[in-house]
Amino acid sequence: MAYIEFKNVCKEYKMGEVIIKALNNTNFSIEKGELVVVVGPSGAGKTTALNILGGMDSVTSGDVMVDGKNVAKLKNKQLIKYRREDIGFVFQFYNLVQNLTAIENVELATQICKDSLSPDEVMEKVGLADRKKNFPSQLSGGEQQRVAIARAIAKNPKLLLCDEPTGALDYKTGKQILKLLQDTARKEKMTVIIITHNAAIAPMADKIIRFKNGTAESIESNQNPIPVENIEW
Amino acid sequence: MKIKKALLKDTFKEIKKSYKRFISILLMALLGVGFFAGLRASSPDMVDSIDTYYKNQNVYDIEVMSTLGLTDNDIEALSNIENVENVYGTYSRDGLIKTNDKEIVSKILCVDDVNQPVLVEGNMPENIDECVVEKSFLEETGKKIGDSLEIEPEETDGEDTEYLKNKTLKIVGVVESPLYISRERGSTKLGTGVVNYYIYVNRENVNSDVYTEIYITLENSDKYQTGSHKYEEYVEETKDKIEEIKEERENARYQELIDEANAEIAKAEEEFNTEKQNGETQIQDAENKINEGKAQIESGEAEINSNERTANQQFENAEAQIEAAKLEVAQNALRFNNEKIEAEKGFEEAENQKADLQSTLDNINNAIKITDNSISEKQAQLETAETEEEIAAINQEIAKLQATKQVYETNKQSVETGMAEIDNQIASGRQELQTAEAQIDNARNQIQSQEASLQQTKNRTYTQIANARKELEASKQEIATAEAELETSRAEFNTKIQEAEGKLIDAREKVSEIEKAEWYILDRQQNTGYSSYIQDTESIENLSVVFPIVFFAIAALVSLTSMTRMVEEERQEIGTLKALGYNKFHIMLKYIIYSSLACIIGGVIGMNIGFQLLPRIIWDMYQMMYTLPEFIVSFNHQYSSMGLGLIYICIVGATLYTILKEVKETPATLLRPKAPKYGKRVLLERVGFIWKRLKFSHKVTVRNIFRYKKRFLMTIIGIMGCTSLILAGFGLKDSISSILPNQYEDICHYDMLVSLKTALTEEQRNSYIENLKQKEDIQEVVETYMESGTAGKGENSETVQIVVPSDNQEIDKVITLRDVKTEEPFTLSEEGIIITDKLAELIDAKVGDTIMVTTADDKEKEIKVVGITENYIIHYVYMSKALYQQVFGETYHTNVLLVQDNNLNEEQEETVMQEMVAQNEVLSITLTTTTMKTLDDTMSSLNYVVIVLIVSAGLLAFVVLYNLSNINIGERIRELATIKVLGFYDREVYDYVTRETIILTIIGILLGLVVGYFLNFYILGTCEINILRFEKVIHPISYLYATAITLVFSIIVNIVTYFALKKIDMIGSLKSVE
Repeated sequence: MAYIEFKNVCKEYKMGEVIIKALNNTNFSIEKGELVVVVGPSGAGKTTALNILGGMDSVTSGDVMVDGKNVAKLKNKQLIKYRREDIGFVFQFYNLVQNLTAIENVELATQICKDSLSPDEVMEKVGLADRKKNFPSQLSGGEQQRVAIARAIAKNPKLLLCDEPTGALDYKTGKQILKLLQDTARKEKMTVIIITHNAAIAPMADKIIRFKNGTAESIESNQNPIPVENIEW
Repeated sequence: MKIKKALLKDTFKEIKKSYKRFISILLMALLGVGFFAGLRASSPDMVDSIDTYYKNQNVYDIEVMSTLGLTDNDIEALSNIENVENVYGTYSRDGLIKTNDKEIVSKILCVDDVNQPVLVEGNMPENIDECVVEKSFLEETGKKIGDSLEIEPEETDGEDTEYLKNKTLKIVGVVESPLYISRERGSTKLGTGVVNYYIYVNRENVNSDVYTEIYITLENSDKYQTGSHKYEEYVEETKDKIEEIKEERENARYQELIDEANAEIAKAEEEFNTEKQNGETQIQDAENKINEGKAQIESGEAEINSNERTANQQFENAEAQIEAAKLEVAQNALRFNNEKIEAEKGFEEAENQKADLQSTLDNINNAIKITDNSISEKQAQLETAETEEEIAAINQEIAKLQATKQVYETNKQSVETGMAEIDNQIASGRQELQTAEAQIDNARNQIQSQEASLQQTKNRTYTQIANARKELEASKQEIATAEAELETSRAEFNTKIQEAEGKLIDAREKVSEIEKAEWYILDRQQNTGYSSYIQDTESIENLSVVFPIVFFAIAALVSLTSMTRMVEEERQEIGTLKALGYNKFHIMLKYIIYSSLACIIGGVIGMNIGFQLLPRIIWDMYQMMYTLPEFIVSFNHQYSSMGLGLIYICIVGATLYTILKEVKETPATLLRPKAPKYGKRVLLERVGFIWKRLKFSHKVTVRNIFRYKKRFLMTIIGIMGCTSLILAGFGLKDSISSILPNQYEDICHYDMLVSLKTALTEEQRNSYIENLKQKEDIQEVVETYMESGTAGKGENSETVQIVVPSDNQEIDKVITLRDVKTEEPFTLSEEGIIITDKLAELIDAKVGDTIMVTTADDKEKEIKVVGITENYIIHYVYMSKALYQQVFGETYHTNVLLVQDNNLNEEQEETVMQEMVAQNEVLSITLTTTTMKTLDDTMSSLNYVVIVLIVSAGLLAFVVLYNLSNINIGERIRELATIKVLGFYDREVYDYVTRETIILTIIGILLGLVVGYFLNFYILGTCEINILRFEKVIHPISYLYATAITLVFSIIVNIVTYFALKKIDMIGSLKSVE
């Protein structure tokens, strides 16, 4: 059995009278340590799938197996525990706590986890050792996103979920962030899932899942992932 | 202006969307305006109520009283003064009413067109034997409408006619007097010195030459509100004009009295003279009569004597005659006796002769018999004889014998005749004797009867004489008494004449002594009830200034934060509108409409609630002290617009402040997300040893607290306001509830106050006190003299109880006199008086000052203050007996006993009191426990204040905290969603947010306790009652209550927050750009 498995997952939203099917019988699986890129047009259901995988949203039907655990069946409190211990999230808009310094933002995550990494080490890893005492407002976008990634990986999660991590960044910085993610996946053997609407970066992944109209239209394994620095778009 | 339509639509949608924010602003406006308008309107409403009351009852504007009374001439003079509308002369007097062994002093007023009492029940007194009373009078005496009451005859000086024609009055109704709206009825010379009640009688029942008061109503005075400056100025103006005629009228009245008195004296003189004349003539007449009587007696006596003499003479004669007659009879009797003896002798002879004759007769008879026998023999022989011879011989012999017998028979006959003759002689002799004896007896009887009748006549005559003498004696006695009477009446007449002369002289002297009349021109402010009422409305007004400030400040802060948040949220929209070409005004309009709507709706609801609720609550409290028929709650336009205006400035001003800052920026800046508030290091971080020790989450909290300054301020001020209001409320309660224990446990130790009747003699009093002291249940009896009076310095004066203990040391047993601060005890001395602290404060007197003390008899003296003693209820002036006598020159007598019992319980006390009251010497008894209960009831009404404070504080806390938590969540939703995504448990998220709130709440509470401490003092200062001294204390438990209640409010809000946090939608919150 695969490490992560989406089985017949459906997700419906009720918007007044209209029922919107965000996910329609989605199936895919991801192996442990894989770097997955999820691509697809806006509204195809990628973020919904990621939110469900991250324990932030519930399914209407279907099963979501993560490391043998059916996330779809978890109760609220268990879901929080799942997020707390198994998931690291990186958002498009960093979502740092403005009132905390870089390192404190990382500490915010580590203090609630059992097997967390040392915040200082993580900061070192993301290359911000010298900026760790700065507040988010004193950091550039890329730096902020690094802090966000540091915060996510410091928890030592089973899954690192990134929703358009480069969406708000310029090309160069975006590339650096993607590199950091790829390196993290490789070095830490962490399962990393990146959502992007930029199909050009797909070759960096071990697996590419393409979403369309609420389903994983194609799942494609890439035997030879290309390092990010070699990708141009 | 089509643009506006779209914007309006947007505005209403916005309201619908952010209804929580809208409601919180609305609530703030509601509270702010409600409190402001309600509290501010309370005082005007109260003034309005009394104004309407006074206008309806045609209450005077100016009152004139004179020491010599007022007359119709005065009325006329006053009527001519400018602005004077009506002048009413009326009467009032204090009277004693006795019911259930209690003496009640009542003001006796008469029903007039001015100061009309309000009829509550029954009828007005239409006849002179009717009266109306106040309700509490019925409650106190247990009487009902239809019952009667009796006014005690007053002690007139002999010359005065009694004030009331009819003293037994039927109660026909219950009234409320506009002149006595408080419980204060003034002081009096009667009874205990305090007027307890008022009654109204029919004017016709009053018997008085002069008016005791003149009441004046002014033209157009109804245009001004009573107590207002304009009104007071207007009244003052007229008072000045009255002042101008004052002297003239005083003199006129004085002259009038002098003239009257002189005329009376002249009349009295005349009367005196005629009386004297009359008296003298009467005495003369009496004397004459006595003399006449005397003469009569003398002549009567002479007559009696002569009568006696004549009678004696006559009796002597009669007696002599009788004596003579007696003598004759005696002689006759003697003679008769001799004759009788002779006659007896004669009889004896006769008898002897008769006896001789008898024997002769007997012999004859024998001879006859023998003859007869011989005859018989011869006859027998005759029969036997056969011969004639023999027969003839025998016949012969018989014839012979017959002849002898014949002779014998003849002898016998003569003897028998002789014997009969003798018998006859004897019988006739006897007859004669008897007749003679009878004659003698007769004579004797006659004499006897004569004697008897003489005796009778004698007796009768003498009795008659004796009677006549007796009568004479009685007349003599009469004359003697008449003489004595004459003597006494002469003496009386003399003394009377002397007295009358003396009186005349006195009267003449008095005329010269007649004091000049003095007018007192008063207005409503001198009416105790009215002036304390107006004072109270002023203190409420003061209160109403402070409270709303808290609410306005909070309202401004709440709306500032809310609107800032709103504007920030809609930054992009503003930018878009601006980019689309809307001008600043149109963009701002949305926010102005939004906040204006919240403000106006809340304000209007608030003022309507406030105007109705708060004045009524306050009125309810004051109703314990004042009797007004109706409380008028009006919609006060001034305060409503003022309150609304102020809140509008606060809320819309705050809105404008935030929005103006925003619209100034260029559309481009606006369209870009606003740079989030920079994180900053706080000062505490530089203090490494503390900062390092803080837990991570605590560091976050500390930083957050300082990050959002508005929120920080709002929370602290809100919580502070809440805590301080609650603390002030409880503090007020503490101060009030400490009054009774302070007064009756620390200061006054007596259990009963026994008023003795004034008319008691020294002996009665002493024996009563001795008796009382002997009683088992009684521990201590302290004799004092008490009267009510006033004490003043400069312009201030207060009603006081003057206490003069009979012993300077004894008083310590029942009343503690000590310095407030040092608790050093005072002892009474001749040096000066000791006054109570609140009195000292009110009249601004210090130790060493001289103050003016006035007794119930209006004796005014300046006395030095030597001590200021601790006291809590009403004012006292303590004075030593020696000083009292020296200053007021009056003889001292005990009239009040302060009695301490042997720790009796209430029931026992009641029994002892019943026993004591039944005694003749006692006027009334007041139990300390009863006093305490009454006071306690009054004071418990102040609990309302506490409730009002707590409720308002609660509302405040709720609005602030709720708003705070709303903003807190709204403003930081991203941050919260983030930490939720990071996997914070609900509890941790809650802690993350509320830890700040809790810290701020604690700071707010601590500050609130400090502010509340001062607020309490402020409230105490403004609502303090003149006769009570509030000790400025707040019990520790009150701090605890204030803290606990505030915490409860914040906990409730926190629970709401907890659920709000739980509902945060992570995905939605994180999706958008910040």
